[in-house]
Amino acid sequence: MSQRELDLERALSDLGASLEFPPTPDLAAAVTARLGEAPATAPAGQRLRGWLGGLLRLPGWRRLAVAGMVAAVLAATVLVASPGTRQAVARRLGLRGVEVRIGEPPPPTASTRPSDRLELGLGERVTLEQARRRVAFPVLVPGAGALQRPSAVFVDQTVPEGGRVDLVYRAQPGLPASRFTDVGLLITQFRGQPTPEFIKKVTGMGLVEEVTVGGEPGYWFSGEPHFFTYRDAGGNLREEQTRLAGNTLIWQRGELTLRLEGEVSREEALRIAESMR
Amino acid sequence: MGETQSVEGRPLDDQELVEQARGGDARAYEALVRRYQDLAFRTAYVIAGRTADAEDAAQEGFVKAWYALSRFRAGAPFRPWLLAIVANEARNRRRTGRRQDDLALRVAEDRPSGDAAPSPEAAALATEQRRLLLAAVGRLGQADQQVITCRYFLELSEAEMASALGCRPGTVKSRLSRALERLRVVLAEQGGGPLPASKLRGGER
Repeated sequence: MSQRELDLERALSDLGASLEFPPTPDLAAAVTARLGEAPATAPAGQRLRGWLGGLLRLPGWRRLAVAGMVAAVLAATVLVASPGTRQAVARRLGLRGVEVRIGEPPPPTASTRPSDRLELGLGERVTLEQARRRVAFPVLVPGAGALQRPSAVFVDQTVPEGGRVDLVYRAQPGLPASRFTDVGLLITQFRGQPTPEFIKKVTGMGLVEEVTVGGEPGYWFSGEPHFFTYRDAGGNLREEQTRLAGNTLIWQRGELTLRLEGEVSREEALRIAESMR
Repeated sequence: MGETQSVEGRPLDDQELVEQARGGDARAYEALVRRYQDLAFRTAYVIAGRTADAEDAAQEGFVKAWYALSRFRAGAPFRPWLLAIVANEARNRRRTGRRQDDLALRVAEDRPSGDAAPSPEAAALATEQRRLLLAAVGRLGQADQQVITCRYFLELSEAEMASALGCRPGTVKSRLSRALERLRVVLAEQGGGPLPASKLRGGER
């Protein structure tokens, strides 16, 4: 770094030290007054349904009339009941079966985390070979090293269009436990339904990035936690508190929609995704 | 304030306060809010551009962070996590809040302090130089202003800047150096160019 650059940087730091910002309002009082707002008595599931119902009734919210399974990723922090924040924005990504909603997050729930017993409520636990026989699509696994052997495999055959497979990896060196599930990595695959229209660009959210995986479209979600829900066979939106997600990559591979979740960097996620065979 | 002090009476650090707040201790959280309300409000102000929006965003951010504490990873640094939530609130308000007012930051009059107190003339010169530099920053585009403000005025770390600006940590450095490059151009057009920091401080040190 040149002297000239250092001088400018020093001058800016000096300026910063003598700047006056507008006076900070007393946030502590206002914030603590609001900490009791959220309902604390209803069971988590009930509150969640109430929230999703509320989301669907919001003005401007375009409900999807897509049959079958729709995976939705919701930017999720917490519910705050003030009317000023009741905004929801739906983003349709160019991925089959995937919808992103950015809007009012779900209410706080008791911090019940699935244990490290890898019980995520994903369906029936099977072997990889059994999973391959039970679903109607070729099951892909990462091609790299230890990830070729998942710690556990689950199949949910009630999911339309051939079922859904989840590969679960225990936290291990290089694969830290998720903030939300104690699991190191979770890879989900299913046949997404074609959506009637596409909105490819997701702008300005700061949390969603377009990526390409093997030449096909994908999205990388990072930063704030996201919420993961899907439509079940009966067409009902199903939410899974246990699937509150940290960093998530969702991408397309032919007829399959895949989703990878874990405390991995974008580059690492892309590397794993590209390696899947 | 029994709950927010350790047995030895030293102030609790972030991690200890976060741990207590996760257990539902609103007073521990209040201590965290007091610790970071300046930083949260100013960051929100830099992004949203208006004090009313900044107050709203910072308040909302703190409330949301409280309810999200159960999902906060124990041991992770609290500041960047909080800033990401607050900055996101601020961005949402900027988008819906139409045009952005210019940041109304002011240069304080030089307050002589200690043995390095400059003469009144030197102090006046330093104040004038700072005003010129601030004016030059104000002529930059919004993105450049934000990255410079986050780094030099709010003194955020690179990780915190990435959180606040909603970009990848890897891009912070290059954004900053491009902003400085453009600032240098503005200063050259303004005449005189940047003075060495020693002159800005009144030449006494």
